[in-house]
Amino acid sequence: MPSEPHHDVCVIGTGAAGGVWIDACTRAGLDVIALERGPLLGPADFMRHDELTNTHRHDGFAPDWRNTLREDTSEVATPSHSASLAQCVGGGTAHWGAVCWRMREDEFRVLSSEGPVDGANLADWPIGYEDLAPYYDRAERRLGVAGRAGSNPFEPPRASSYPNPAHPPRRATLALERGAEKLGQHPFPTPLAVNPRPYDGRGMCLNAGQCSTFGCPTQAKASTLSIHIPAARLTGRLDLRPRTRVVELAAGKDGRVRAARTIDAEGHEREVRARTFVLAAGSLGSAHLLLSSRSARFPNGLANGSGQVGRNLMFHILSYAGFELPEPSMGAFGPVGMVSVDDLHPSRASRGFIRGAIVSEAPEPGPLWAAYKAHEYLGSETGAWGKPLKDFLRRYAYLGSLISTGEDLPQHGNRIDLDPDHVDDLGIALPRITHRSHPNDLALARYFEEQMKEIALAAGAVRAYGFDFSRAKGGSGHIMGTCRMGSDPATSVVGRDCRSHEVPNLYVPDGSCFPTSSGYNPTLTIFANADRAAAQFLARRKRRETT
Amino acid sequence: MKRRPETESIHGFRAPGLSRRDLLVGGAGLWISVSLPRARAAAAAAASNDPRAFSSQEWRSVEAITGRILPTDDTPGAIEAGCVNFIDKALAGEDRDAAPGYRSALAEIERLCRARFDGGFADLTAEHQDRVLAELETATIEGWDAVLAAPDEFFATVRMHTILGFVLDPEYGGNRGYVGWQTMGFPGAVHHLGGALPEHMSGEKPFVPIWERPSEESKRDQ
Repeated sequence: MPSEPHHDVCVIGTGAAGGVWIDACTRAGLDVIALERGPLLGPADFMRHDELTNTHRHDGFAPDWRNTLREDTSEVATPSHSASLAQCVGGGTAHWGAVCWRMREDEFRVLSSEGPVDGANLADWPIGYEDLAPYYDRAERRLGVAGRAGSNPFEPPRASSYPNPAHPPRRATLALERGAEKLGQHPFPTPLAVNPRPYDGRGMCLNAGQCSTFGCPTQAKASTLSIHIPAARLTGRLDLRPRTRVVELAAGKDGRVRAARTIDAEGHEREVRARTFVLAAGSLGSAHLLLSSRSARFPNGLANGSGQVGRNLMFHILSYAGFELPEPSMGAFGPVGMVSVDDLHPSRASRGFIRGAIVSEAPEPGPLWAAYKAHEYLGSETGAWGKPLKDFLRRYAYLGSLISTGEDLPQHGNRIDLDPDHVDDLGIALPRITHRSHPNDLALARYFEEQMKEIALAAGAVRAYGFDFSRAKGGSGHIMGTCRMGSDPATSVVGRDCRSHEVPNLYVPDGSCFPTSSGYNPTLTIFANADRAAAQFLARRKRRETT
Repeated sequence: MKRRPETESIHGFRAPGLSRRDLLVGGAGLWISVSLPRARAAAAAAASNDPRAFSSQEWRSVEAITGRILPTDDTPGAIEAGCVNFIDKALAGEDRDAAPGYRSALAEIERLCRARFDGGFADLTAEHQDRVLAELETATIEGWDAVLAAPDEFFATVRMHTILGFVLDPEYGGNRGYVGWQTMGFPGAVHHLGGALPEHMSGEKPFVPIWERPSEESKRDQ
C-alpha cells in the first residue's frame, strides 16, 4: 500500500472543528493534510441545490451517509439516514443556519447546578465560560457574526461587541418582537454569522432565503469552506484531500496513532502518516471511526479502554410552533430566524423539568417545508388533501414558525456502536444509533411548544399549531457527545485539552467532546472550543512537550 | 411499500441496497427520506410530457388522483401543474424503487373501482373518487388485495408526490408555469436574480416574483 511522507498534523473532517485546526496549524507553520470524505463544493453547486435535494431527498450534502436507528436495545435497528449531516469540504458549516450562541456559565456546570437526575448521566464540563470567552470573541470576529451586544439580558459577560450590526428584519420578525414584548419578555436580534454588509472579503447577504440546509452562493454565510480553508491554502502548507474516506486509524506498538488508512473516490488505498491526528468528523463520524479502529491493543476500538466512546449521544430536543399572520410574513426572504427570546431558558425545576431552551424565529423558507405541516395546520391526521390542502397552501405567504432548541440530557445508553447486521460497501459495520429521549426532554419540549404558541398569538397570529419534532432524530443537525471531555479517564474519552486519555497523539476537538448539550445551537461553541484546544496544542508543541 | 434498490454513489463508493421507506416521523407528516442520487438526470427528462414509467392507463389514473389531492377551482391545481408528469419522471428516475408499489396499487384501485362503480378511477364522479381516496387514506377500503402496497402507504406516497410536483422547481416536470408557486405566493428561488432588499422583507416595497419577470417567462417558453 503506498504510504505518504510524514505530515505534522493530519486533520480528519473539515467542518467547524477541523477547519479551525487546519487554519491554526498552517498559520503556525505546520504541514497539514486534511482528509474529507465529501467533495469540494462551491457557489455553482449551491445554486443548483433546491428543496428536493436539500429538504426532501438530502442528496445535496450527504448522499452517502448511512446508519441504523433504534430507540431501545430490545429493538433491531433499521436503516436510516441522518439527514442534516453535510459531507463536503466545510462540513456542517457549509449548510448551517449560522446561529451563533455563547453558552451561559451554568451550562458548563449542569451536574453541580442540578445534582444527579435519574436515568441521566449529567456532568460538568472540565472548562468554564471564562476559558472559552476569549475564543468566543475570536470566533465571532472571524465569522463576522451580526448581532447587538447587550440586547439579550441572559447572555454571559462579553469583552467585545459583535463585528457586524444585526441583520435587517422581515415582517414576521417585527410581529414576534411585539408579541414577546407584550408577554413581558426581552426579544433581541438572533446573532447570525451572515454578513449584513461585505466583511473580510466575503459578500453581503442577498436575502434570497433558502439559507439553513443550503450552501451560500455569495459566501455571506460564514463557513470553514469560505474562511478557514482558503486561509490555510494560501499558506502553501495545506494538502486538502476531498473525497477521501478514512476507514481506520492504525495504532503503532507505542500506542500512538501511526497512520490513517484511506480510500479515495477512485478506490485507491493509502496510508497517511502524521505526528498528530485530529479527529473532527462529527459526533457520529468520529465515534464510528474510533469504534471501527480495532486492534489487539485496542480491542474495543481506539481510545476506548473506558468503553465510553459512542456514549452520551445528544441531539437537542426541538419543538416547533407554526403560526399564521394576518399579513404576509416574508418568510421566503432573508437568513434564518432574526429574533430570539431567552427569558424562558434559565432552569427552573418548578416547571416540571430542568434546563431550558432558546426560542428563535424560524421562517418558512420554502413551499415544501411549509407543505409538510399541512396536518398540523389543519389539526387532523387525515383529510389534508383536496380543498383543505389547497386552501392551506394558499396561506403560505402568511406563515411563520418559532423553534426552541432544548437542552437534552445525556444518557449512558444513548449511543452509537457498530451495527451487527448492516455493513457498508466496504464491509465496514454501519454506525448504529440507539437513542430514547429522557422524560425531562419530552416535558421540556411540550412546555416550549405551548410557550411559543402564546408568543405567536400575542404577535397577532390568527392561528398557532405545534409540530412534533421529538422523534426527528434523523433530522437533527445538532449532534453532540459520543467522546465526552472530562478529567476522569474512566468516565470520559478526552481530557480538557481534547486529547485522548489513552492515545497521546490523538485529539477529538469537535462536538463529540461536549459533556452536555446546552440550550443553544452548538456550532459557535465548537468553533471556540476547537480553537482553544488548538492553541493549547500549539503552545505545548512550542515548549517541545509530547504532542 | 418495500423498495430495495441498488444505488450508485456520486462519491464513487458503491452503496449496496438499502430500504428507502420514507419515514413518517411521529405521524407528523415530515418525511425524512433516505438518500437518493442526484436528481439532475431526471430533471433533463422531465421537460418531456411522454410517459416514461406509466402506461397510458396508469397515467390517466394518477392524473385523476392528483386532481383530487390538489383540485382545480378558480385557480389551477395539480392537473394544470403537471403533477402526473413529475411523478412519472420521478418513478422512472430517482424514485424508481417506488414504481412496483405504484403499479400494484393502481391495478388494485382499478379493479376495485370497476367492481364497485361502473368504470375505472379516472371515469368516476369527483364524489366517488374522493370516497375511494378517503378509504385508501384510512386503510378502510374493502377487498384490498395488492401485496406490494398497503392502501394507506400508497395514499401517503401519492399525496406527497403530488405536493412535490406542485411546489418543486419546474425543472422536475411539475409546477408548470409556476402555478404551484403562484398558488402559494412563493416568489421563487431568487439568488440568481439578485435577491431581495430589506424593504422587500419589511413589506415596504413589493417584490416582483419570478413568474412575473419577463426574462424568466421567455426563458421558460423556449
